[in-house]
Amino acid sequence: MSEKDPIGSKALAGFIGRDAFRRPGETLIAVAIFAIVWELLAWVCPPYVIPGWGRIFHSFIELNGDFVIISLLRVAAALVISFVLGLGVAVAMYSSASFERYAKPLVRLFMAVPVVCWILFSVLWFRGVEFRIAFVLVVTCAPVFIVDCLDGMKGVQKDLRDMLRSFRPTRLQFLTKLILPATLPVIFTSWKINISLAIRVVTIAELVGAVSGIGYGLVVAQELFSVADVFAWTLVLVIILFVAEAILGRIEGRMLRWRV
Amino acid sequence: MTGAIDIEVCGLQKLFQSTVSDTPVLAIDRLDFEIRAGEMVAIVGQTGCGKSTFLNMLIGLDRPTRGHITIGGRKPYDDFDHFRGVLATVFQQDRLLPWRSALDNVRLPLELLGNDRHEQTARARVWLDRLGLSQFVGAYPHELSGGMRQRVALARAFVVGPQLLLADEAFGHLDEVTSAALRTDFINLARNEGKTAIVVTHQLEEAIEMGGRILVFGRPGHLLADIHLANWSSARLSRLRGDIQQMLQSNVPNRDITKPVPKEL
Repeated sequence: MSEKDPIGSKALAGFIGRDAFRRPGETLIAVAIFAIVWELLAWVCPPYVIPGWGRIFHSFIELNGDFVIISLLRVAAALVISFVLGLGVAVAMYSSASFERYAKPLVRLFMAVPVVCWILFSVLWFRGVEFRIAFVLVVTCAPVFIVDCLDGMKGVQKDLRDMLRSFRPTRLQFLTKLILPATLPVIFTSWKINISLAIRVVTIAELVGAVSGIGYGLVVAQELFSVADVFAWTLVLVIILFVAEAILGRIEGRMLRWRV
Repeated sequence: MTGAIDIEVCGLQKLFQSTVSDTPVLAIDRLDFEIRAGEMVAIVGQTGCGKSTFLNMLIGLDRPTRGHITIGGRKPYDDFDHFRGVLATVFQQDRLLPWRSALDNVRLPLELLGNDRHEQTARARVWLDRLGLSQFVGAYPHELSGGMRQRVALARAFVVGPQLLLADEAFGHLDEVTSAALRTDFINLARNEGKTAIVVTHQLEEAIEMGGRILVFGRPGHLLADIHLANWSSARLSRLRGDIQQMLQSNVPNRDITKPVPKEL
């Protein structure tokens, strides 16, 4: 770990999101090759298997925009709740070894449960659709925030911890002046992972029981046997993910400008 | 806070639990000495003689197994919070927070003390200016050279006006010219401010240059010699280097070195 990256998360963060935006030339070429191969396949395959870009684009502009906004709001709200909850639990686990001993197995247990099971539990336990979706998202994303934030906090160099302790900070000062700022790169990495996870999970959750959102749009497309609509919704999901990562990358670049 | 402070080290012993065997490792055997307020003391010894362990106990980061240390009559590890703003340490590496600018790094101890924000900035600027860094207040640590970063660390230590200044091999890892310049800065600042200063070093030159008192640590952590350098002739000082080296190699005390020096010398 370098001096400039006290928690060693830089390589992971770069791997997850930034490289695509740092090398736009290569990214564009790769996407163009994929689009050409797709179009060639569309010529030889029937449209109900692989629709051409023209059909997909036509479906794309006719998609229900409200569904996109609804899904985005669900993801945003759930991620904020998951982050606040995850960070709070991680701070508690970092501050109390005995709490960590009890909480860690539970967090691992939550992470081991497949998303589909959480969706079924939510359908069995709760009536409200919004609550069901929020439950599934939070229960899936919060443990990732907990584990990542705790790892980041524990990864803060002993040298820096000893330096700050030599000035006799309060517990709150120790957290706010050292531990949380040092964990910030890991927090960004965790957000990137969770944005991707939440967009996939919300789609699956909306497939079951929802009457709005991208997942519901996919169900309708499937029921109408409109393959072009399915691909158009998929395209929307990919674009959302890329845009979200780009925005997060910008914020990260600003907030972590102290890193080389 | 101004002024200096007395230190008493009495029957100090430190054992560490070994990671490879059940037998504890003796890091500090038995240390007994006193340091008067305003004294400038260099602690020298070979690697593994317990210098940094002693310093950690002095800072209050670690507790002795037996014996005690008191600073101004209080134990730094028991009365931990009492020493807020009383002692400050310059570490081997600068240990600057990479997300803070030079100014914000120097302000850090004042923030912890809850000083007014304007006062924090003003005092931090004064110290950065005194150490020749007025052009670099907004620079992040990675934008500064090793010597500049260590100067920021010096400013961070001095800014609270501590009564006790500690330096743990703070200048040895830099090139000779930078190291000498920083050492001179440290000595001058500590003298001018009338602080009690303890410098841990493995470099004899550095210890002698401090010009006050040298405590020679043997392995495991015991006192081989307690040398007061006041009134020493240049001939005796030049012999001192060889004598200390010999003593460190043999790990046996040399009582001739520690004899008081007559005033006329």
